[in-house]
Amino acid sequence: MIELRNVTKKFGSLTAVDNISLKIEAGQFFGFLGPNGAGKTTTIKMMTGLYKPTAGECLINGHNIHVNSLPAKRSFGYVPDQPYLYEKLTGREFLYFVGGLFDMSSQVLKKKVEELIDVFEVGSFVDKRAEEYSQGMRQRIVLSAAMLHDPNVLIIDEPLVGLDPRSARLVKDTLKRKTREGLTIFMSTHLLEIVEELCDRIAIIKSGRIIREEVQNEERKFNGQLETMFLELTK
Amino acid sequence: MRELLLVLNLKSASILKSLFRQDSQSLFKMLASVLVFGGFALGMFFLARGVTTYLLQTAHIGLFLFHRFLSMLLYVFFITVNVGNIIVCYATLYRSQEVGFLMSLPISHAKIFLIKFVDNFFYSSSTLALIGFAILLGYGSYFHLPWYFYFFSVFFVFLPFMLIAGVIAVVTLMGLISVASRIGIRWLLGIVATGYVSVIYLYFKTTNPVQLVGEVMKHYPDVNTYFGYLDPPLVQYLPNHWVTEFLYWSVNGNFERAIPYFFLLFLTMAGLVVTAGLLARKYYYRTWLASSDLQAMRGSKSSSFHLTVLEFGAESSIWKKLTRSPQTEVLFKRDFWMFFRDPSQWLHLVLMALLIVIFLVSVGTLELHLIQPFMRAVSFLVVFLFNGFLIASIALRFVFPAVSLESDCFWAVRSSPLELRKLYFHKLRFAFALTCIVAEVLVLGSMTFVGNDGFLLGIAAVCGICVALALTSLHLGAGSYFAMFKEKNPIRVASSHGASLTFLGSMVYLSGVVLILIVPLHEYFESFVFSDDSARSWLYLPVAVVALFSLLISVTSTSVGLNAIKRDF
Repeated sequence: MIELRNVTKKFGSLTAVDNISLKIEAGQFFGFLGPNGAGKTTTIKMMTGLYKPTAGECLINGHNIHVNSLPAKRSFGYVPDQPYLYEKLTGREFLYFVGGLFDMSSQVLKKKVEELIDVFEVGSFVDKRAEEYSQGMRQRIVLSAAMLHDPNVLIIDEPLVGLDPRSARLVKDTLKRKTREGLTIFMSTHLLEIVEELCDRIAIIKSGRIIREEVQNEERKFNGQLETMFLELTK
Repeated sequence: MRELLLVLNLKSASILKSLFRQDSQSLFKMLASVLVFGGFALGMFFLARGVTTYLLQTAHIGLFLFHRFLSMLLYVFFITVNVGNIIVCYATLYRSQEVGFLMSLPISHAKIFLIKFVDNFFYSSSTLALIGFAILLGYGSYFHLPWYFYFFSVFFVFLPFMLIAGVIAVVTLMGLISVASRIGIRWLLGIVATGYVSVIYLYFKTTNPVQLVGEVMKHYPDVNTYFGYLDPPLVQYLPNHWVTEFLYWSVNGNFERAIPYFFLLFLTMAGLVVTAGLLARKYYYRTWLASSDLQAMRGSKSSSFHLTVLEFGAESSIWKKLTRSPQTEVLFKRDFWMFFRDPSQWLHLVLMALLIVIFLVSVGTLELHLIQPFMRAVSFLVVFLFNGFLIASIALRFVFPAVSLESDCFWAVRSSPLELRKLYFHKLRFAFALTCIVAEVLVLGSMTFVGNDGFLLGIAAVCGICVALALTSLHLGAGSYFAMFKEKNPIRVASSHGASLTFLGSMVYLSGVVLILIVPLHEYFESFVFSDDSARSWLYLPVAVVALFSLLISVTSTSVGLNAIKRDF
């Protein structure tokens, strides 16, 4: 479960995120939409502990990320907007590194690494150094790393950027399956058709404020209307 | 020309903007910079004036010999600027992303080369230039030279001198990359390192300072005579010789003989710049492509070096004995592999180790046999100071960039359940272990060679640990405060503005240690003259003060560093 309570982030005189509140229940697939510079990445960075909010609090599974950061961080996986890796390490080494940071035992980690190499089909390049990877390869390694420790919350910033159609399908299917298994997903993206396909709930942010929240379920589907709504609201 | 001016304008605007940002943090950084750089320049000024006064008025070595020593110093300075430019040029002209972007624009390769060279020259040589100018001022003030002498010397003699070193560096680099694409980078680096060591050795072998002093001193007290015939013919073609000749004739008031050297310097510089431009027109793009190929080839080679105990995911009982935390284990493994897979890191380490060996061997050949207490104290402190300088250089190169090397990938650490405090102390622990070992090797090696007793050796060893602790903490803390996560090249991080500031700060710290120790050391050596048995007690208190001073620096720096590492990423 994710909860944002009156979260504000200011950079000098600029208010990037302005008093937003959200509550995402366990097992929900939440889409976070907004035009460029609306405050999506800033919000995500506050949720993951990379930014400290100027006001308000971010709770992950009931733990305030800035007060009780370790239990909070143990319970989520994070995929940043840019899949930066250590250039001199191989993908496999990066996965072991992240697993170690999450204090995973070596046997469990080994099993999990092999499993994710299969899931994200990274076996052909996982033992090459990251300096040789394309954007899509990096993205798949980062997604694998985020799922290593079986988190119950996944926070993803633009997960499909740079992925070829086959890899994108792979990621979408994996995310769908994981949500069915109870994973809570908070996803920021510009790809509205992905949101329509995957998300149960969305929020649109503009100039740091949430301007609309919508739910998608069996009774109410977006049916291709999300783009019109988005363009109307953000013009 | 238009696009050249446009890019240079944009670059200067961005530098000015970053220098004069209006937030309080930037203002503080700027004030701190002015204070430390200003203080350091002032220190160098007084040191230069003091040394000039001592050598000419107390030691009576005469103007000719004094200027020949100056020439030797300038030679070392020339090589330093040259090597510094080669190292930084590789990063700015061949590995920077900006070059990749500029190459995609309709700008000629020679212009890109020029833009990046100017950028690189001022970036890598500004601190050295500051040191040079301060020394020049100190030197000139002894001779009561007029203001226009400084203006002329700085802009028309000293700057061309540095530019010659810089241009030679960049032309050499183009040649090196061409050769590297044929014989491989490892062989080439070995040849280059041997070449530079040989050049320095041959210079001092040719100039033979000991023989020169002997020859000149035969004419004592007429040591101010011009003994130009003693100069080896080869030396007369070196820019450091031209600078000293210009200075020698200027302080003698003989401008007619000084001016030709200015022309020589200026024309050589202009000629070299034009040659570099022509060579760049033909070879810069080619070598840029060759360098990209070299990098790609290096990346595609799987490493033949394996060490099971350091492999990720390998079961090893050693780690279970060493630490129960997988976090510490993976942090160590990551740092190890990232260090040894980056040639710029381990090669620099090898060079530094070589420098230490050269220093220890040089100190070993010294036969001081000093009796006068003050001179014994000074010799002890000079060697100690040089040890400190070496430790500071190692800390600057390897400890300062440690936090920046977390790079853009810091997100992985920051979003994991790893306490940043733990990460920071992990870095501090390993960095301190490295500098402490180096400090003790240096102290025990150099102090044994200069013939100090066991008690003094112990004192030096304790002070060595204090210095290692303070300098490691200072560089790590400042490296965290001035962290450059976007910069992938550790050399550029270690030659950034913040790094220079930190290095100067460490010089101030070392001066403080020397100030604390000088009088008690003098008393200690004096006590041998008067056979005073209570001599040792003279040193306990100052060493305790050094320890406290170092601890204070360490705690303050660590606190600053810890706060900085927790900043928004």
